[in-house]
Amino acid sequence: MSALLKSELRKLIYLRANWLLLLWSGLFAALGTVAPILVLNSDNGPGRGAFSGTETQEGINAVFANAAGGYLFALILGILIMTNEYRHGTAVGTFLVTPKRSTVLVAKLIAASLAGLVIQLFSFLFAITSGFIALTFFEPHAPVPAELLFKVFRASAISGLVLGIVGVGLGALVKNQIAAVTGAVIWTLIVEGLVVAFVESIGKYLPAGAITGLVDVDFGENDFNFSIENYLSPGPATLVLLGYAALFSLIAMRTTLRRDLD
Amino acid sequence: MSSVKIEFKDLSKRYKDVLAVSNFSAQVQSGRVTGFLGPNGAGKSTALRCLLGLVNPTGGSAEINGGSYSQLQDPIHKVGAVLDSRGFHPGLTAKQNLKIMASASDINFSRIDEVLELVDLASAANKRTKGFSLGMKQRLSLAIAMLGDPEILILDEPANGLDPLGIVWLREFLQKLAGEGRTILVSSHQLAEMQNTVNDVLIINKGVLVAQGTIKEICKGKSLEEAFLELTLRKSA
Repeated sequence: MSALLKSELRKLIYLRANWLLLLWSGLFAALGTVAPILVLNSDNGPGRGAFSGTETQEGINAVFANAAGGYLFALILGILIMTNEYRHGTAVGTFLVTPKRSTVLVAKLIAASLAGLVIQLFSFLFAITSGFIALTFFEPHAPVPAELLFKVFRASAISGLVLGIVGVGLGALVKNQIAAVTGAVIWTLIVEGLVVAFVESIGKYLPAGAITGLVDVDFGENDFNFSIENYLSPGPATLVLLGYAALFSLIAMRTTLRRDLD
Repeated sequence: MSSVKIEFKDLSKRYKDVLAVSNFSAQVQSGRVTGFLGPNGAGKSTALRCLLGLVNPTGGSAEINGGSYSQLQDPIHKVGAVLDSRGFHPGLTAKQNLKIMASASDINFSRIDEVLELVDLASAANKRTKGFSLGMKQRLSLAIAMLGDPEILILDEPANGLDPLGIVWLREFLQKLAGEGRTILVSSHQLAEMQNTVNDVLIINKGVLVAQGTIKEICKGKSLEEAFLELTLRKSA
């Protein structure tokens, strides 16, 4: 298993596209912290209405909660880990070296999970650093409590570990790389976002909703009626995410073990 | 004294309405080069993929050393396979692709330089494979197959897309491997080339075994091409 895991990690390290994905995850998460700072502090921004500005604790919460937002890239990397094998025909070589497909799958799930963690930790650090730099232009601002950063860090780490696994399961199920990545992006950025924002009773059980619950910070009263009370608390949210990891691991196993490689 | 290395036992594979292989039984002896011949769509690739555990047979079995491929301990050291000219990532160099395969099976990286030398690809070791010609891709596939220094080689159309120089190179390469006493099962359309290279012949048509024997027994004084056409056309009629 350790040899196979090393081989999977080698695939991740050698591919330039994976490093680009890591960079994009950081930029995406940084946009999530910097853009709200600019919007909340603009003269016409919601900082003067819907949301509080960064001089308040709620405003700071709203900014830094977004630092966990790079999980889409953990999901995409998980998809690539699986679909690259089919897209480039390397699945044949992989399964010839290790005919026990379940062993290969376990190695891929571990590799995807670790890669997801790296992506989320990198994007978290990138977003937090960018946020702090952006805040220096809008002094004075409310303090950024260590507890807030810990909560977002915790959500980043757990979501990275889980979404990498979910990506492998999705990739095993769909096989077609473009379809799987496009579907994941549309789901995460549009469908899931809308459900989580407007149908909280369902949305809190979706991955994004569970991650929101895991972040566990409130933004105060605002026009969107966002209240962290409507989401799961961190314990149940973690269990929901682990449930997704288990479900998609099972999907990856069942589809890959039975599939003919033509 | 040769023994049976590869055995197909009543192997069948059905894809929905298409019976790709039907009760196919044949044996490949150790230390011999066996040509696996048949028209396009005859079931050669399906049979080979069943043998390598990549495709699940509908019935029967295909065995290597008396067991299924998945039962082999350290299979890369026992069997090397070339199934098509893909099988490596285009964004990686030849060496990186080989390192990935080698690290999955704990093979020392010094072996990578050896196999690249073996297939005359050492000069392109650090080039990304997306720029490789078909011939270079075939050589890299052979290098991957040789990574574990296997005693058995299974090659599906290794000459596909090769230019005349590449075909000559492949012939000499296979003859060299055969001279080392390896068991080679090679499917090909290059009948003239096969005649010069193989000891034994398996002919499959429409998923069914048409003929099996030594090259002398199959050809009976004719060329392999004539014998092949006669056997496949007669059975088709």
